[in-house]
This record gives sequence, C-alpha cells and structure tokens, in this order.
Amino acid sequence: MSTVTNDPIRAYIVSEFLAGEDAEDLTDDFDLIESTVVNSLGLVRLISWISETYGIPVDDIPLEPAAYRTLADIRGFVGRAAPAGV
Amino acid sequence: MAAEKAPDTYGITAPYADELNDDITHWDRVGEFPHDKWKPLQRSGLFTLPFAPEYGGAGRTLTETMAALEGLGHTSRDAGLNFSASTQIVSVGIPLQAFGSEDLRGRYLPQVTSGEAITAHAITEPSHGSDVMNIRTTAVREGDEYVLNGGKMFITNAPVAGLFLLYVRTGKPGAFGLSTFLAERDTPGLTVGEPLETMGLRTSPISEVTLEDVRLPVGNRLGSEGAGFLIMDYVMKREVLFSFAVNLGEMAHRLKRVVEHATTRQQFGSAIGKNQAVAHKIADMRIAVETARKWLYDTGLKVEQGKDASLDVAATKIVVSEANQLTARHAIQIFGARGYLTGTGIERELRNATAGSIYSGTNEIQRNCIAALMGL
Repeated sequence: MSTVTNDPIRAYIVSEFLAGEDAEDLTDDFDLIESTVVNSLGLVRLISWISETYGIPVDDIPLEPAAYRTLADIRGFVGRAAPAGV
Repeated sequence: MAAEKAPDTYGITAPYADELNDDITHWDRVGEFPHDKWKPLQRSGLFTLPFAPEYGGAGRTLTETMAALEGLGHTSRDAGLNFSASTQIVSVGIPLQAFGSEDLRGRYLPQVTSGEAITAHAITEPSHGSDVMNIRTTAVREGDEYVLNGGKMFITNAPVAGLFLLYVRTGKPGAFGLSTFLAERDTPGLTVGEPLETMGLRTSPISEVTLEDVRLPVGNRLGSEGAGFLIMDYVMKREVLFSFAVNLGEMAHRLKRVVEHATTRQQFGSAIGKNQAVAHKIADMRIAVETARKWLYDTGLKVEQGKDASLDVAATKIVVSEANQLTARHAIQIFGARGYLTGTGIERELRNATAGSIYSGTNEIQRNCIAALMGL
C-alpha cells in the first residue's frame, strides 16, 4: 500500500485521468495506451507535469510511445532522467 | 524596432530587400509562388540557421532563428513568401534533424538547408481541420514497407514542394495512433493538386495532396511507430514561434509606416497624428507589437531552455495573430482611402493577417488547449 500512496506519478494519473477510481486499481503494468486512458491533450499535460515536477528538461523526455505504455515505463524514464532521482 | 541586443541574425535578409520587394502587387494579384525570390532567400543563408553544420546548417539557436525571421518580416513585403520560407525551415528540416535516422538526415537535410528542395508538411485533412486525432489517412505495414492511402488538404508549399512530411494513422485513434513519414514528390501514388486560390498570403501556394497506395520504406519513418503526435507537438511549437516571429517583423514595419504617415499627412491644418482618435489607434498598435514581441521571445527562450511551454505557445499564437489583425485594420483606417487601394499594399496586409488566426491550429483550438492545460 505504501508504494501506491507514495507514488506521485500514479496519484497524478488517477486524479487527472481516472477521476473517481481508486489509485490501487491502476497497476504498474496497466496499458495506458491500449486503454486510451491518456488522450492527446492528456499526454501534453502529463509531459508538462513530469517536466515541472521532476525538473527534467522537455527535450530530455522521450518522445516515443513505449515510454508511456505503463506506469512502470513512465517511472522508468523519470528515474533515469530526473536530476535528483525519484 | 530591433532591440539593441538583437541577435546578429536579424539583418541577414536585409541586403536582398530590392529583389524580395520587386513587383509585389503583381505577384499578389496573380497569386503565384515567386520562384525567383526564393533564390535571394537561399543566398541569405536563412534556411541554414537552426541546423547542424554537418548538414550545411549554421548551428544557430531557436531565438536566433526567430530573430532572422523577424528581420525577414521587416524587410520583405511579400508575406506569402515569408510564410513559405518559415514553412521551409520547420516542416521537414526541424523534425528531420530531431527525429530522423542518420541515413535520412544525411540524404535530405542538405537539400533543405540549401533551399534546393522546397518542403511541406501534410497534417490537415479535408474533413478534420484542427482535429488531428481524427486523421484518417492510413499507413499499413507490409514487410519492410508502409502502404499509405488517404488525402490531405490546405498543404502550404505543396504545389512547389519536393519533399513532404506526412502525418498518418498507424494505430487506433488516440495519442499514439499517428506516425510520421518522409516522402519525395515523385513517389508513385503521391499526387499534388492544383493550387487553391486564397484571400491572403497569395504567393504562398497551397493545395491538396492525395495518397494512393504510396509505398514507403520503413526507413522513411521519423521516430518510432506511434510517435507522430509527439513529433507534431514538437514541430508545432516551433512553427508557431517561427511563422509568428515573421509577423512581428511585418507588424513593426507596418507601425513605422503608419507613424510616418500620421506625422506627415495634413488634414484640417495639422498632421493627422495630432488627432487623439488617430493617436490612440497608433498607441494601441504599439502596445500590440510590444506585447507580441514579449510573448514571442519569452516563449522562444522557454522552449530553447527545454522548459515546458505548451500553454505559452498557445497563448503566443493567439496574441500575435490577433495583434497582426488589429494593427492591419488600424493601418487601413489611418491610411483612409489610400489604405483601401490595392496599390499601396495596406489592404493586402489585412488579407494576409486573416490567415494567422486559422493556420497552425485555429485560435479556438488554442484556447481549448489552454483550458485543458488548466484542468478545465
């Protein structure tokens, strides 16, 4: 449970794109693309949020679908790119 | 109007003013792309600015490129040509440099930076203007090739372009359903329509592009499959900054011309600028130009620094396009009957400015985008 509640990326996606759902229901391997949970404007917002929250220059954020397929994928590149880690 | 710390790229097209401004009224009337005016732009080095030296580029920054385009807008009274020039830099060159394979960059970027190949990007479709998520043109993978079918509309530079970047559907609707492909004009199945007559920017040719079983090697794809929307977002940020930097230069020139007219034209015994009704319009023009400048370079710097600027770019697009329309309307009013005559070139500027609230995503879509980014 602590990994769920302490995961800001999961919390952000649930609050922004899955309003009313429980954060616990969004698993690490849930396919955000296939399920179209994140739409195009949502993607722009997500990238914007990641850039600001973790201080990652937009140019260093991968512009390829594979980076956004699951929560684990997003956490992966954020962990690699963020100056202070996640 | 250039600030004293303006980058040295600002004046690179100024020496070619005479060639660029030759017979402007004629070219606007016939509504054709002035091929001979492309040549001084090539010689000026404008097309090389934001590209890496190994591809014939000048290695300049985003804001240095914006300054050169602002300078072009101030120098050249041919807003259609100016728009085509900005499209040349951004439509294929920018995404090719950022997302193209080494092979694609090596083969095509030198043609873009030299201006030898005129370029276009095909995004809009006949039934889906700004709604890019509903793009229907498809690319289906068959072995080492993709087969493309569909149609694109309102494609700037298409009638004269040699290289096209095509945004087409490779997956389900949504953020990852689009992919981007580079195609040469003579690719079998790719047909460019007749130029469409337009209200403004008449020397910037546009037409439809149809794709019938166009076969492209997998290697002609930019980025990974499904990356089309992200590539488009990257490109559109720069398209807005570049093409509206041109408008800033055009507006600054317009303001200078209006001030000159208002201080020399006499009516009822004094210069017309002494009338508050005129002076206030000119003050509003000045505010519009300076507001446009602040938004453009503030946003340009943000993008250059890798900061998130999605909202800023949308706001910049709205501010500059509306400033362009306002200053063009005021200029006609201040020039009076002379402004209404086609020969003075004042009315042409209003026709040219009209396009700005429509292309690069309508201002209505930009406001939707800002609202969505605010969580509305």
